[in-house]
Amino acid sequence: MRISTVTMYEQGVSAMNRQQADFTQVGQQIASGKSVVNPSDDPRAASRAVGVSQSLAVNEQQESSRTSARNSLGQEESVLNSVSDAIGSAKSMVVQAGNGTLSDADRESLASDLEGTYETLVGLGNTTDGNGTYLFSGYQDNAKAFSRTDAGDNVDTIGYEGDQGVKQQKIDSERSMKTSDTGSDVFMKFSSGSEYIAEAGEGNTGSMTFSGPDVRDATAGGYGDAYEIEFTENGAGDLEYTATNTNTGDSVTAEYTDGETIEFGGLAMTMEGEPADGDSLSVTQGGDMDEQQASLFKTIGDTINALRQPVETDADQAALDNTLSTASRKLDASLDNVLTTRASVGARMNELDALDDVGGNREIAYEQTRSDLVDLDYNSAISDYMLSQVGLQASQKSFADIQQMSLFQYLN
Amino acid sequence: MSIFSIGLSGLSAAQTALSTTSNNLSNVYTEGYNRQLPILGESYSNGSTGTGVSVDEVQRQFNSYVTEQYNDANSQTSALESYQSQVSQIDNLLADSDAGLAPLMQDFFSSLDDLSGAASDPAAREGVLGSASSMAAQFRSFDSYLGDMRSSLNGQLEGTVTDINNTATQIASLNDQITQARAKSGEEPNTLLDKRDKLVSDLNELVGADLNVQDGDNYNINLENGQPLVSGTRSYDLEAVSSSEDPSRTVIGYRDAAGNVNQIDDSAFENGELGGLLSFRSETLDSVQNQLGRMTAVLGSEFNAVHEDGVDLNGDDGEAFFNVGSPRVMSNSENDGTGGITAEYDDVNQLTSSDYRITATEGGEYEYERLSDGKTGTLPDPDTGEMTVDGVALNVTGTPEEGDTFMLQPTRTAAQDFEVAITEGSEIAASSSADGDDSNGDVGSGNNENALALLDLQSEKIVGGTSSVSDAYASLVNDVGNTTNITQVNLDAQSGLTEQLREYQQSESGVNLDEEYANLVRYQQYYQANARVIDVGSQVLDSVLQLR
Repeated sequence: MRISTVTMYEQGVSAMNRQQADFTQVGQQIASGKSVVNPSDDPRAASRAVGVSQSLAVNEQQESSRTSARNSLGQEESVLNSVSDAIGSAKSMVVQAGNGTLSDADRESLASDLEGTYETLVGLGNTTDGNGTYLFSGYQDNAKAFSRTDAGDNVDTIGYEGDQGVKQQKIDSERSMKTSDTGSDVFMKFSSGSEYIAEAGEGNTGSMTFSGPDVRDATAGGYGDAYEIEFTENGAGDLEYTATNTNTGDSVTAEYTDGETIEFGGLAMTMEGEPADGDSLSVTQGGDMDEQQASLFKTIGDTINALRQPVETDADQAALDNTLSTASRKLDASLDNVLTTRASVGARMNELDALDDVGGNREIAYEQTRSDLVDLDYNSAISDYMLSQVGLQASQKSFADIQQMSLFQYLN
Repeated sequence: MSIFSIGLSGLSAAQTALSTTSNNLSNVYTEGYNRQLPILGESYSNGSTGTGVSVDEVQRQFNSYVTEQYNDANSQTSALESYQSQVSQIDNLLADSDAGLAPLMQDFFSSLDDLSGAASDPAAREGVLGSASSMAAQFRSFDSYLGDMRSSLNGQLEGTVTDINNTATQIASLNDQITQARAKSGEEPNTLLDKRDKLVSDLNELVGADLNVQDGDNYNINLENGQPLVSGTRSYDLEAVSSSEDPSRTVIGYRDAAGNVNQIDDSAFENGELGGLLSFRSETLDSVQNQLGRMTAVLGSEFNAVHEDGVDLNGDDGEAFFNVGSPRVMSNSENDGTGGITAEYDDVNQLTSSDYRITATEGGEYEYERLSDGKTGTLPDPDTGEMTVDGVALNVTGTPEEGDTFMLQPTRTAAQDFEVAITEGSEIAASSSADGDDSNGDVGSGNNENALALLDLQSEKIVGGTSSVSDAYASLVNDVGNTTNITQVNLDAQSGLTEQLREYQQSESGVNLDEEYANLVRYQQYYQANARVIDVGSQVLDSVLQLR
């Protein structure tokens, strides 16, 4: 076939263009370190890389969420440690106060010590984080969690100002975690399994003191319900007590005997001394108590107020003893609640660690996938580079040679 | 004295051969030149002795069959080239993975995540505003890049149409000149024929053209849809006009014999530069811009909906976070009625990336055609039912007449208006509104429930109910990459084929320097030999004269 001179040029040039394009393409890959420079180089890989990058970004987001969750929880954990220490020291002061040989002055000095602990606890309840937001206010984190109201001669009363909002953070694709606990849950609640606590009625005037309640039979009917025990003088001048199940309204009435152990709803209580007509006792499971009853501040505040009352009569002594006995149980329950919360915080932090491990592995897997998709295999790229260089040089050489081959050189 | 005339005829033939060869040599690089060959024949003789040589013709080496194949292939190559050069611009735009949309969307959601960790922190709120603005700006800039491509494409169409018209006019005029030249001299006007064939080849690069040769003389040329472009000595003009359906769109109009301009559907052009540009616009550019718009419409609307459910730092109900564009509907400028249609988003999850043509039918109903897949459907009379199509609610104003059409572009312009609507970080509605349930907290600075709900939109399948926004972007990247890739592969194959046909065509019509040089030497010797014949004749005559 005839080859026109134009064809020889055109083919030589287009061969060089092709080789140059290949050469530049490999050069571009090497310079960028990517095998997929443009989406058209490998559309599927390019589009999957978008997805993998998104997963990587989400993974990174969740990692930073976990860091901030860990900071919050770490701070809470350290506050809870201090709270449990404070409860422990309050408890030992309450035990000390129960020593019958103390004078009013001794008790006043204990009350002062206890007031220090009280202030410490209020301070802990109002802890702020690095941003100045309150740790225990729920969603109202710009406001102090606990406010105080002047109660005259008595210790200031403390009220919860936050709400029940518990902040969550998205720490994994399918997991949101609570990163805080509310002040009312920490300071004004007993955990649900907490034992029974008895409280003497506020207006009691007799000298009756109680011990217990102790659990005798947790399977008994009415176990778990709350009870109200009332002492009344019957017409014959004898004292009777009526134990009313406040959940069902059922009640039993029997004659009161000093030092006798009475039983109701699987519980046993022993009462000593002489109750006055109308005196009462309430017996409630800790977990059922409301914020007011379960408030750690109120428990300690009541104790301080009681310690400051001079003890002159048997009734005074009984009131003090009963307050201390109730406070002792409540402090146990509060401590239990704080430790439970602390355990839950610890468990959450452990979960964060575990998720960090998972997230770390995931990140490596994603990075690997993305790299497989779009990163360059330098070995093969450099080999391609050399090869296309040879190709380009060969096409240039052949073009030059063909141009030199002309009949004009040989004639004349 | 025939020896002299024989020698003379040879000298003359050799001269013609030499000048033909020289002409071939001098035109070796002339575009459209077809090699010429002197065809020699014996001179007329009525006896047994010949009377010399004559030049029968100077033949143009032209194979119309091969040329037609070459022109056809070249026309397709040219379409693929113009498609490829357009689509690779988008491909390059998407190649920059650092400045692309994906990282900015990730930054945006990442800032929301920070906000969920510190809902009352002003720095976190400013972070959200900043990343949202950057993201929206990037969407707009992507969109304006596509818009620029669109208007530059309009300009290119105008230019191409001008070139087509010029070429067609010249072919028509050459038809005339060639007929006249043939009639005058009875010889083939090779130069004019070369010119005309070159123009046909040029025309094919611009637009797909069917060539019919009439009576071995006139070239008649039709467009791909059969309409005549050149008919004998007359040519018909194409015009670049604004589409009656969408004034921002330049389309091709055809001026018929009566002088009316009729718009030709884009799909009528497949080959040549014009076909490439039009296919790129309807297959890729429209779809990419619509997909981009759909992403902003869905993301913006869904985000707004969740945001409006929340409460901001001032305790106020959340307002729209983003400004989102709205669907565009245009009345055809050729409509007879006075009716218009307005549209708004109804359920953004159902939006497609297609455009729709809505036609008023008899009985006050409307028919729509989804242009991406040709699916049609009926819309009720607006007085009796709700007109919604794929997540867009339509509202008719005025009175359209039967046959009036409207162009609905649900998402085409959505990205150009995408921007952050709020200005203060405190207006970000990160907290949920109070639900009256004490077990959940109230509205408060630390309430991050709505921030978490906003964050969830990152992975929610809100686009078409099947993809997250990021998935939609990935699929856009995939679409563009695929189209570019396929176009490139087709272009490579088609270029190979065109190159082969070009080589084949050149093997007949092209000039080879070596060959011509050899011929030059050959014809030189031929000339010298004939001169020698005259010399011999003269010597023979001298000998006779010396005898006297």
